[in-house]
Amino acid sequence: MATPATRPSGWTLRAVVSAHLVAIVGQPVFAGVYLTGDYDSLHWHAVGADVVTSIGYSQLIVAIVVWVRLRQVWPFLGTAAVVAAETVQYFAGLDGALWLHVPLGVMTVAALVVQFVAVWRRPVVRGEARDA
Amino acid sequence: MRERGMSRRRVLGIGGALGLVAATGLSASAALARRPPVTGAELRSALPLPPPFRVPLPIPSVLKPVGTSGGADRYEITQREASAEILPGVRTPLWTYEGTFPGPTIESRRGRPVTVTHRNELPLPTVVHLHGGRTPAASDGYPTDLVLPEGWPETAAHAGGHGMHDPRALVSRLTRDYTFPLDQRPTLLWYHDHRMDFTAPAIWRGLAGLHIVRDDAEDELGLPSGPRELPLMIADRAFAADGGLDYPALDPALRERPGVREPYLAGVLGDVILVNGAPWPVHEVDAARYRLRVLNASNARHYELEAVTDDGRRLDLVQVGADQGLLAAPVTHRLLPIAPAERYDVIVDFSGVPVGGRVRLLNRIGSGRARDVMAFRVGRKVTDDSRVPRVLSSDLPDWRRSDAVRVRDFSFRTGRMHGGHGWLIGGLPFDPARTDVTARFGDVEVWRLIADVHHPIHLHLVGFRVLSRSGRPPLPHDAGLKDTISLRPGEAAEIITRFDGYRGRYLFHCHNAEHEDMGMMANLEIV
Repeated sequence: MATPATRPSGWTLRAVVSAHLVAIVGQPVFAGVYLTGDYDSLHWHAVGADVVTSIGYSQLIVAIVVWVRLRQVWPFLGTAAVVAAETVQYFAGLDGALWLHVPLGVMTVAALVVQFVAVWRRPVVRGEARDA
Repeated sequence: MRERGMSRRRVLGIGGALGLVAATGLSASAALARRPPVTGAELRSALPLPPPFRVPLPIPSVLKPVGTSGGADRYEITQREASAEILPGVRTPLWTYEGTFPGPTIESRRGRPVTVTHRNELPLPTVVHLHGGRTPAASDGYPTDLVLPEGWPETAAHAGGHGMHDPRALVSRLTRDYTFPLDQRPTLLWYHDHRMDFTAPAIWRGLAGLHIVRDDAEDELGLPSGPRELPLMIADRAFAADGGLDYPALDPALRERPGVREPYLAGVLGDVILVNGAPWPVHEVDAARYRLRVLNASNARHYELEAVTDDGRRLDLVQVGADQGLLAAPVTHRLLPIAPAERYDVIVDFSGVPVGGRVRLLNRIGSGRARDVMAFRVGRKVTDDSRVPRVLSSDLPDWRRSDAVRVRDFSFRTGRMHGGHGWLIGGLPFDPARTDVTARFGDVEVWRLIADVHHPIHLHLVGFRVLSRSGRPPLPHDAGLKDTISLRPGEAAEIITRFDGYRGRYLFHCHNAEHEDMGMMANLEIV
């Protein structure tokens, strides 16, 4: 049997994870520039937080579709963890709880890098029924 | 399929390991972080400390003018070494204004000029700054405008550890007349030393006093007055084994090397809380309203004040005034944060407290002995004809963003200076010879201030209003006209002000006194 091709829902997952990674990498950039005294970067950090969180929830929906259609649960589990972290992250940032915001931010970026590698490393194909 | 099963087990293993690392990292951060955040390190006293709420609250004496001719008052203050019994049975050498800590209070009227002749009998040069005063530049106490003690060599006039020479410095010998027009809103000001590179240890040793401005409109409000108006200068200190005030200066002679030892770079906190120079004092009050005029004269310690009865009830702290005078209307707090150099004018009503009951003023963000500040013991029932009007003032400036001709951004953060650790504004350490900001007289400007850790930012000459904090509306205690704003870690604030009053060279700086001495000041030239 030839290597199965990535299905449309798999491609959507790849696209949304990639967009998510690009968006989240902007966050430490804006934070760093802000702390150099560029006030507008705080605004972009806040806009970035909205964008990242929105993409995160979109990714969650796509991951559910992948779970249902391709019987692959790991994208959903990974995404759920990232979205939970991002939600905490959002409010930790608003609250000024930097002890949580900074390390959790680093970990969320790292988790997304792992997801990015996972979705692009091999085709996102239909899994075995027992894998679901 | 066997391969997939293997890889799934491995994925679970890796995932679990990553999850464990994440959980450990976040727990470590939660455990190690200072929550609430604190900027500074505490010095521990080497002497046994007295129990709280035993020593009576001293009220600084009001200085008598030596002359009142020509519609102006003249005062004389001698800066000299003295010793005081701060801890019971212990003599503590101090640097003082007129032999006391706090120095004597100057009472003045709005628009009635005051001239204070300061005589420096201390072993080192000094500079007097009236914090919050609308003062011409020549009397504003620029850090290099030194008053040299007798016998101090002229060549050492710059007296700066960085060897900075300031050609514009107005140096005088032994005495200097400071003239304060006091054409400003009535409020609690304070005067303190502001010498280049060595402000923090000079204030720590005792060079601080109160200066109150009043006017008829404020007198007519009916706020608590006389013995029911209490100035409270809160300051933390630490004591060495010999009874002296401990301070981690790099150069204990305070001559050459400014700054403090490395653990204290973020600020020096003491473990003894003094109010008007007494440790955790107690004050007997009537069951009536009191007007507390609170100043945080600590070098680096922030407080969050609450007034708690012995049965655990929190009394309202009704704020009527800010750094630069009366608010438009009272603001009620249960918890009042106060950063170094900030002042809050607060009404507390003891009428609901039973006679013999106690109300403790506590610091919610203090740990150990720094949780207690002082106490009030209610002595007797009385009739109280004081009041807190719904409208306190109608003369607050109403600058709008659209009035601003300029927006400036400043970062306040840590960095390297002169090969060591310092504190920078816009990436630069203080240099008297560099003009950082040139503002046109009469211009309205918006300043956006961004902090890495706690930085209480103070502008000389002008009062400002707070427009926002980190893009959101100001906090309840930001009301009114301020001259010092407390930025919290990672926080930004927008302030608006009008540069008027006088032209000349002024300063803005962090009022964490250690930060201030280690570079966190900048020049503001009004032309």
